[in-house]
Amino acid sequence: MNPVQAPRLAFSAAIVGYGGAPIVRGVDLEVAAGNFVGLVGPNGAGKSTLLRSVTGAADLLSGSVTLDGESVARMSAKERARSVGVVPQTLPVAFAFDGRSFVQMGRHPWLGRLQDLTDEDHDIVEEVMELTDTARFAHERVDTLSGGDLQRLTVAQALAQRPRVLLLDEPTSHLDLNHRLQVLDLVRRLADDGMAVLAVFHDLDIAARYSDRIAVVSDGEMIPARPPERALEASVIESVFGVKAVVRTDPVTGTLAITPVVRRADVERPTRGRVGVVCGTGTGAVLMRSLALRGVSVAAGALNRGDVDQAVAVTLGADHIDLPAFGEMAPEAELAVRQQYAGCSCVIVAPTPFGRANVGNLRAALQSGAPLILMGEMSAERDFSGGRATSLWEQAVDGGAVRVGTDAEALDAALGLLRDGSEE
Amino acid sequence: MSTAPGSARRRLAIATLGVLLLVAMVLAVGLGAVNVSPADTISAIARGIRGEQLVQSDAVIWQLRLPRVLLAALVGSALALAGVLYQALFKNPLADPYILGVSSGAGLGATIAFVAAGTSFASRSFGVPVGAFLGALLTIAFVVRLASRAGRADTVSLLLAGVAISYTLSAVTSFLMVVFRNSMQSVVFWMMGGLTSASWQNVWVVSVMFTIGAVVPIFYARELDIMLLGDERAGQLGVNVERFKIIVLAAASLVVAAAVSVSGLIGFVGLMTPHMARLVLGPDHRLLLPASTLAGAIVMVLADLAARTVLAPVEIPVGIVTAVLGGPFFLWLLVRKERR
Repeated sequence: MNPVQAPRLAFSAAIVGYGGAPIVRGVDLEVAAGNFVGLVGPNGAGKSTLLRSVTGAADLLSGSVTLDGESVARMSAKERARSVGVVPQTLPVAFAFDGRSFVQMGRHPWLGRLQDLTDEDHDIVEEVMELTDTARFAHERVDTLSGGDLQRLTVAQALAQRPRVLLLDEPTSHLDLNHRLQVLDLVRRLADDGMAVLAVFHDLDIAARYSDRIAVVSDGEMIPARPPERALEASVIESVFGVKAVVRTDPVTGTLAITPVVRRADVERPTRGRVGVVCGTGTGAVLMRSLALRGVSVAAGALNRGDVDQAVAVTLGADHIDLPAFGEMAPEAELAVRQQYAGCSCVIVAPTPFGRANVGNLRAALQSGAPLILMGEMSAERDFSGGRATSLWEQAVDGGAVRVGTDAEALDAALGLLRDGSEE
Repeated sequence: MSTAPGSARRRLAIATLGVLLLVAMVLAVGLGAVNVSPADTISAIARGIRGEQLVQSDAVIWQLRLPRVLLAALVGSALALAGVLYQALFKNPLADPYILGVSSGAGLGATIAFVAAGTSFASRSFGVPVGAFLGALLTIAFVVRLASRAGRADTVSLLLAGVAISYTLSAVTSFLMVVFRNSMQSVVFWMMGGLTSASWQNVWVVSVMFTIGAVVPIFYARELDIMLLGDERAGQLGVNVERFKIIVLAAASLVVAAAVSVSGLIGFVGLMTPHMARLVLGPDHRLLLPASTLAGAIVMVLADLAARTVLAPVEIPVGIVTAVLGGPFFLWLLVRKERR
């Protein structure tokens, strides 16, 4: 990637739309050779319109769209097709071309009238069919192929154009897991070899995984392209998609993983009361989400940064106290947690393991005086606090705590206690 | 320069169809109220071409049968060619000149010219084709304009506009027939589709129109293939879609006008033959264009032969013959499509 290189594809102060009606305004976007830029945004935001304005299928109402500095509006259709390949979302095929003839159509912009394909054209067609793993469809009728196979043939057709810019509109929405990775890995490799790629994605994880930069299209505007971790901050996802999501780095791919937690609209209803949760290491995530969806506000105790439950608590706006990763609870933190739990109708103790760091949450729950709902059993596999957790647990059991097994049972018990509380 | 894999097959298919057409034409020239054997037919035609003295039976062949058979072949070719072009352009295997209103437009133009030209044979021979072409061209221009939004004509609106215009223009044509009762009978018979008025003059006029209209699409064979993937995809692959449509529609209008001006409204040939060709030979237009053109000629020559021999001496309008064959074919296509 070379940042000083002139952009292959550039939108400058562009307004795009159909007829006279603008769909997306203020588009400034540059895609250099070797760049892979993702476009994300809600349905109908105009992502596809942006792509279509490059090939003249949508109108450029103002500003400019250029390829290597030259306005696309002034290019002939063939000239443009020699530079820009497009992979659309779907391609309805009603006629019975075989796979090879279908891919050969990609050579059209390079051929004169009545000119047959040359040896070089045939070589290019063979090559792109190998590359997209579609060589075996050379003699198959394309109207008998599955959506995924047809999509890879469409990629082959676009590559047969030998483009310098590749536009993809949700290219993998019809592909299975294997072919999705295959196609996108291929496109990523093409980008690494110098192709300028602009791709619309529905799937934010996929967008983050493959894009160098991501531009978010929303409300008729485009948020300029930024690296994935900045473009897809949780606050952006909430404001653009109306979804509260946990955004973290996937430990396996090292790229962003976005887990939608709740729709903002579903947790905006008036609160029905308050329930405490003692959790950690993801044991409380499902519970907190279920409570939030039922209009219950949550107090989540003290949680370590980097913990899944901490991320969920942040996302849901649940009261909690942040501890540094692997940090222990100070007495002040435990006091604050006890006060939080004291204001709750009940406290659910999720089946989290207890160590020195978080045993304070259990003690705070016991001392808060709120009714307790205990999930599962206490055992040596759960108690890493030198027996303190076990003794607190036994006190809770002796004190008449409700015992449940699953998240659903815990939720039912908590909602029951909430109702009893409101009837008094 | 390598040879395309299908080119041997292409040559074979076209040669076969060419031979079949010649056989059909020789048969059709020979058969009728007076039957002439194929050998005599060929020698009679050969005598005429060499400019030798014609024997009496040759007159039937040269003055009546040959122009009629040639005209049937030209009309069949024209309708089939128009069918191929429309089906590719509108990505609809059921599209043909009638759905778009082009035939009705040509029919109305021809009817107006027919009435306006009076009874002069010469002015009818030239006036009617010109009227048909103007009618076809104005109609398609109007239909495209009606269906266009912001400079783009999408396929569904185009077909809907075509159907609506087709009904309107047919109504106007019927109205004209009622008003001009004196020439009505011949117009009615002509509009039902017939080749009874075939003459050498017709043959030359139609040949010229057909040739011009048929040469153009050859240059656009690859674009016709690509258009089957949809307007937008065609644009992405480098086809100037709007210009392509105008050129192809003009060419199709010309050949439809050629057919309508001499034979009135003959249905289903433009629908059936491209289909049969596509079923047997696949969708490649470099093959489909010549093959459908030849197949259309064969179908039409045989249909006209049936029209004038089945109930001889009574002659059935050839449009009825093609409709009797084409209607069930159309239904079969529909049912087959449903079941798949």
